[in-house]
Amino acid sequence: MSKGLTTAPFTLELRAQCHWDWKVAFYLYGAGSSAGLIFLELLLRRWNVIDEATALWGMWIGLVLALVSLAFLFSHLGPGARWRCLYVFLKPRTSWIARGAFIVTVLVLLRILILLPTVPGFTDLPWGEESAAGGLLRVAAMLFAAAFMAYSGLVLSSWNSIAFWNTPLLPVLYIAYSFLAGLGALPLIVLATHGGEKLGAVGAIFWPSLLLLLALNGFLLLIYIWGMATATVAARESVRRLVSGAHRLSFWIGVVAVGLVLPFIVAGLALRGGLGGDPAAVPWVIAACGAIQIGGFLLRDNFLRVGIYGYPV
Amino acid sequence: MTRWGFTVDLERCVGCMGCVIACKAENGTPPTIHWMKVVEKEEGEFPYAKRIFTPLRCNHCADAPCARACPTGAVVKRPDGIVVIDQDVCIGTMACMSACPYYVPYRWDGEDGYYGEEKVPYETVKYAAFKKGTAQKCHFCYHRIDEGRPPACVESCPADALNYGDLEDPESRINELLRQKKHFRPREDLGTNPGLYYLTGKGGGKVGGGK
Repeated sequence: MSKGLTTAPFTLELRAQCHWDWKVAFYLYGAGSSAGLIFLELLLRRWNVIDEATALWGMWIGLVLALVSLAFLFSHLGPGARWRCLYVFLKPRTSWIARGAFIVTVLVLLRILILLPTVPGFTDLPWGEESAAGGLLRVAAMLFAAAFMAYSGLVLSSWNSIAFWNTPLLPVLYIAYSFLAGLGALPLIVLATHGGEKLGAVGAIFWPSLLLLLALNGFLLLIYIWGMATATVAARESVRRLVSGAHRLSFWIGVVAVGLVLPFIVAGLALRGGLGGDPAAVPWVIAACGAIQIGGFLLRDNFLRVGIYGYPV
Repeated sequence: MTRWGFTVDLERCVGCMGCVIACKAENGTPPTIHWMKVVEKEEGEFPYAKRIFTPLRCNHCADAPCARACPTGAVVKRPDGIVVIDQDVCIGTMACMSACPYYVPYRWDGEDGYYGEEKVPYETVKYAAFKKGTAQKCHFCYHRIDEGRPPACVESCPADALNYGDLEDPESRINELLRQKKHFRPREDLGTNPGLYYLTGKGGGKVGGGK
């Protein structure tokens, strides 16, 4: 099937873009979350909140997530034409996609370089965690991770064809959601590396941060929707489709209830000691962290689906 | 320097879709791809209801958002202002489709022709010009323009609603029309500087005032 408004009747109506689908949403979610994860891993490791094993596992998982999301993006490119994908770097002067391709490539390379000294056979490389070169690599990775989180919103907000995306608040929202997904992945990594034993130690930092970040994301989402509900006709139609139209279930249940409210309740209970000891808390932690990831993906997916063009004339 | 422009007289367009068919015949676009569209809109209420026809096509903007968005530089502007897509460079990101406020470009992924899987000889010849998985859009029939002939849509219009010409030449047919009739450009507020003008009534000058 060709892409674009191929089956749209020849009538003058507000139309939603339909060519950037869930694959792009997964790329924006996956690569954004992976950038959020690496940023937090490096920061928390520097502050000694997490140990080296957790940081390394996080880096590996983040790298795999970034590569998987890039694979989704690759499959979204034109069949036959996608093999020329290296052309994507050709116009960084005007195209945010070209800039994003550059940022994500450098970020992946930096991660590989950071992880390489931990691979048997490469342990003698002179940029280990304690070395100056290693520190420099980590700072560069944090900068590129921050740039990529911003890029995932800037790529959409740079176009004025779709009013719902065309706001400086979108990169801010996507950065906040990338941090949330990164933070949400952290306890899962701790569980994977140490079982439930170290959850309590991480929890002292994790639960208050999560609560704060969830509140911030909820607030940003609220003012985003409220702002768009008072903007142009196309933006108002986007809001209508999101909150009361075809995408309302996915938005209210997926993004709001699962992605924000459920983890907020769990985090609140955890802070008040309502989840019990470490073993009892594990299923709740898994549920809350999984819910954050689902909400993060659905936010990107819904935002793409309600991207409505203004009237062309 | 030439800058090709296009005028659509909304008072003359009768919605016959002749331009749509002429474009398809000339360029052989696949079934789901329409470089030229004539969209309809109903206005007013019975007994004064009427249908308005608005031909839509690529506006060959001076500051084309599709060209800015394309990461590979596949969307290029010729010196005469015509915006074309280099299919050898396009990788099908569909950034141009998201960036274009007139939702003009399409991506052809190589599906069936008008009569199913088996293509008629005409389709076989015409589809060979399209690279699978790349974006495509109206190219102002530059192959005809370069030969001094009008675009297929202009030539086919029975009501003389469509015209083209050099915007830089004060004596060109479209500059004459712009002096004679009120006009506006589509979504000028977005800063795309489109090369297409809609004519709406006698008097010259912009709709709402100004030259």
